[in-house]
Amino acid sequence: MNAVIAGLGITEMGKVYGRTAPEFAADAVRLAVDDAGLALADVDGLLTNTGITGDVGLGLQRDLGLRDLRLLSEVQAYGSSAGAMVQYAAMAVMSGMASVVACVFADAPLKEPGAGAGAAYAGLTTTGWRGLAAASGIYSANTMYALAARRHMRTYGTTSEQLGHIAVAQRAWAALNPLAQMRDPITLADHQSSRWIAEPFHLLDCCLVSNGGVAVIVTTADRAADLNQPPVRILGWAQTHPGNDEQLGLVSGAAISGPAALKMAGATIADIDVAELYDCYTFTALLSLEDYGFCAKGEGGPFAASGALGPGGSLAVNTGGGQLSSYYMWGMTPLSEAVVQARGQGGDRQAPRNDLVLVSGNGGLLDHHSTLILSAR
Amino acid sequence: MPVGIVRRDAATTEFFDGTARGELLIRSCACGAFAAPQARTCPACGCELTAWAAAAGTGTVETWSIVHNRKLPPVTVAIVRLDEGPWMQTQLVGDLPDDLRDLRVRVAFEQPQGGEAVPVFGAAG
Repeated sequence: MNAVIAGLGITEMGKVYGRTAPEFAADAVRLAVDDAGLALADVDGLLTNTGITGDVGLGLQRDLGLRDLRLLSEVQAYGSSAGAMVQYAAMAVMSGMASVVACVFADAPLKEPGAGAGAAYAGLTTTGWRGLAAASGIYSANTMYALAARRHMRTYGTTSEQLGHIAVAQRAWAALNPLAQMRDPITLADHQSSRWIAEPFHLLDCCLVSNGGVAVIVTTADRAADLNQPPVRILGWAQTHPGNDEQLGLVSGAAISGPAALKMAGATIADIDVAELYDCYTFTALLSLEDYGFCAKGEGGPFAASGALGPGGSLAVNTGGGQLSSYYMWGMTPLSEAVVQARGQGGDRQAPRNDLVLVSGNGGLLDHHSTLILSAR
Repeated sequence: MPVGIVRRDAATTEFFDGTARGELLIRSCACGAFAAPQARTCPACGCELTAWAAAAGTGTVETWSIVHNRKLPPVTVAIVRLDEGPWMQTQLVGDLPDDLRDLRVRVAFEQPQGGEAVPVFGAAG
């Protein structure tokens, strides 16, 4: 018995003010239920993942008026949470514990025009070990990932220009995506001249910050058979949490969770038509390409620079523009685009082949990783 | 750029007592391995770490970043691999070459008013 994704809800996204994260979360679940052709009362399981504002949780049940839920929990594995929620939901519906599980992420870190966009992501801790790192100047994800990326560069010769090719390719995809926040094309020169954030990262190496919410509905293939949308089967899944810094910036959890998820799906990496990769930074996407085996270890830079990743390239990657150019909803960004692509609903950005779609999630400083293998065929 | 203010908590008391004396304390295991000061479990043998040892204070830059902020001068931060093995996330200070790859560095301490003494690293002379 397969578990499937039967519904997808994406709220208004980006610089949307005056609404809280729990409000975005409730909207996303309603949209996903409608998309599936279900009613809210059909939902008997709810998994929530809160973003940086930290206020999406168990209270969402009452916000939505959901009665007698058979599954309710907050999930937190940072950027790998979306994949993790779908995995737990799949296991729940396959076991019969629940029949229709809504999985939702929402966040509202942007407070008002003029406020620093990333401010909520740079909260200073001033005590203990984390305080020591912050006092030393290491207090944002930008800096941590910059340290990881520099290590890849010094080990494999990866260059800033090669990272820039990922930003350019994803912006080209975003130009075809009506949901994307950033749709104006960029060039490699634009990438290189964008201001430094934390070297080796320029501004255009870094993800957006977005307000909004995304939800998916997970149910069984039987239940989904007569619903609105083509069911997207969840064929394989895995998580990896390395717990070890030795490979920082060189190898991510994708190297283990990828093969494990593919094995469950009975597929190989060569079978993947579309890859929706977690891209908090250009570098995260590059490292994932290597670790999944789309190219050899250390060859992510030349692979990106070959033009393989943009529209018309040899591998459809981050076809909605990803978190660099479409919207920053943690693991829901790659997952939502994967559902769109698997259904064949990508419009101008629809990948030519979509039999098998790979979705990655990544959280912490490359500390948490999830993989999903999806197919609507 | 000067280091920021950090205050001790129960887990960092011994460490900041060390920095106040001009010592960089790391964890030391009975098996002979060393671990980062914040480590709780020996990476080599899995024992709980309870003992401290003073590191020599020398190491090599493993990776680095120059962090830019529109309101402050750029700051250079790094992961330094201490000669005993553990990694330290730290700030680099003083005159530095453009390419910091494998730069040899030595610890120093900076203590802003109202905060603990914080280890920083400069090029080993």
